[in-house]
Amino acid sequence: MDPESLPVAWANYISIIGFVFLLIVVWLIPRRVILADAKSNSRWRDIRIWATGLILMQITLYLIFT
Amino acid sequence: MKHLLNYLDLAIIVGYLALIVAVGIRLSGKVKDAKDFFLAGRSLAWWVIGLSIIGTNIGADSYVGAAGNAYNVGIAQANFEWIGAIPAMIAASLIFIPLYWKAGVYSIPEYFGLRYNQAVRVLAASIASIVAVFAIAVALWAIAITLETYLGWPTWLGILVTGFVVGMYSIAGGLAAVAFTDTLQVCIMFVGGLVIVGLGISESGGFMGFAETLTRENPNHLQAYLPADHESFPWPAVILGLGIVLSPAYWCAGQAILQRTLGARSQWDASAGMMFAALGKSFVPLLVVFPGLLALVMHAQIEYPDMALPWVIKNVLPPGISGLMFIALIAALQSTIDSGINSTSLMITRDIRHVVMKNADPDQDLKVGRYLTLGILLLAMCVAPVISQMGGIYQFIQTILSLFQGPMLALLLMGAFTRSTTPAAGLITLLTGVALSSIVLAMGTNMLYVAFVSFIYSLFALAIISRFTAPNERDLSNLTYFPWGAK
Repeated sequence: MDPESLPVAWANYISIIGFVFLLIVVWLIPRRVILADAKSNSRWRDIRIWATGLILMQITLYLIFT
Repeated sequence: MKHLLNYLDLAIIVGYLALIVAVGIRLSGKVKDAKDFFLAGRSLAWWVIGLSIIGTNIGADSYVGAAGNAYNVGIAQANFEWIGAIPAMIAASLIFIPLYWKAGVYSIPEYFGLRYNQAVRVLAASIASIVAVFAIAVALWAIAITLETYLGWPTWLGILVTGFVVGMYSIAGGLAAVAFTDTLQVCIMFVGGLVIVGLGISESGGFMGFAETLTRENPNHLQAYLPADHESFPWPAVILGLGIVLSPAYWCAGQAILQRTLGARSQWDASAGMMFAALGKSFVPLLVVFPGLLALVMHAQIEYPDMALPWVIKNVLPPGISGLMFIALIAALQSTIDSGINSTSLMITRDIRHVVMKNADPDQDLKVGRYLTLGILLLAMCVAPVISQMGGIYQFIQTILSLFQGPMLALLLMGAFTRSTTPAAGLITLLTGVALSSIVLAMGTNMLYVAFVSFIYSLFALAIISRFTAPNERDLSNLTYFPWGAK
């Protein structure tokens, strides 16, 4: 197959798969490493949750602009 | 374009310049040593770091150029803020920033020095410093052109005034002043950008009217990627070159970006700051892409795409708000300049001076750093007018930088995630990887593919050469990332 004829929609699907993979990697990082020297262990300080929101937002954008 | 701004606009501009100089002078009292100057005394909070990172990242090309590109290609321009930034920023936040903190370094070249050897450290710092001087010069020239266009100032006056203002707060207050003024500048950028969005949508018949016109007249402008046979940004090259190599190299190993995270008050603040920046980055297309789409929907009569943003400022914004948007443009450029001179000063002071001059006194770092900050600024001010006469030099410098990104990222990844990669492998791979990039580029290959090819080569070269060369004798536990085994 000619690489220059690859469908554009594939780019969106690859991006979405990449973000799902990243989401799995994020949650494989131990919580104690994330909160190593945080002032408290409160839930909002777990930035894996921030990352999850961010990744879901990106997946939504790539679904919309396909 | 002259007489675009009225007296209310000018009052807002003067007030803004006075405010950022006052902030810098106020913070100068807190600078007692090199750690205060280069790392803000490790005192920065996560939200300051996040906004400062966005300010450093948004430059002249992001603002004016991105609006022009969006006018041409549509929402695909936003892709550079999404797949071209977000994954790498998340990796920087959760993996590389904790790694640099554990290593206890002032700079990324210093990490390379510890993980590999001092030759790699000096090489990395030298490349970054040379490129930074040109980048600062380009930003200075862009401000001078903006001031000439909007206020009628001669370019030499624009360079002098900008150099004076940025120099005042950067030399006096160091990274703390740079970070706080960046924060202020980003807030202004977002306010200005959101006003454009609000007024623009209102002028084009509400959100539905805007979306309907755009969809009807330019349906291809709503695709995140460009076709695989696109001349400049084919989607496979964007994913392989930008997404996998250039973006991680910039966000995970770029000194100007990461310096404020090393100046955080805690590792958590550093990581949270980068994650907060990533959140803000998701909305940057509203500032840099929307004006281009708005000009398209409003059928702007412009000679070339880069006129899209000035056209929107002139035709959509009322007096006062025009001044705010003008400040946003200037602020975007200033934050690039201040971060560049501060990080370059750090790399020359510590990563080059301390290695080349073995007897350099660390107690003199603050004094040397301040003189270097001034020197780098003056050098960039001298280079700025020359850049205008040399046309493609900035593109040339960007290309040179890109030649190093593949090998540098490979060194970072193999250094962080393996213990077997050796110092000799690092140096040999860096040199041969750059040579390979140059050859592939000379063959006329797209820059994004060049970055990917050199990255893949460097990964293999590091693995193979390491099998035949002596390992690093240092304890690598603080220089590698294995969180699952950490206690």
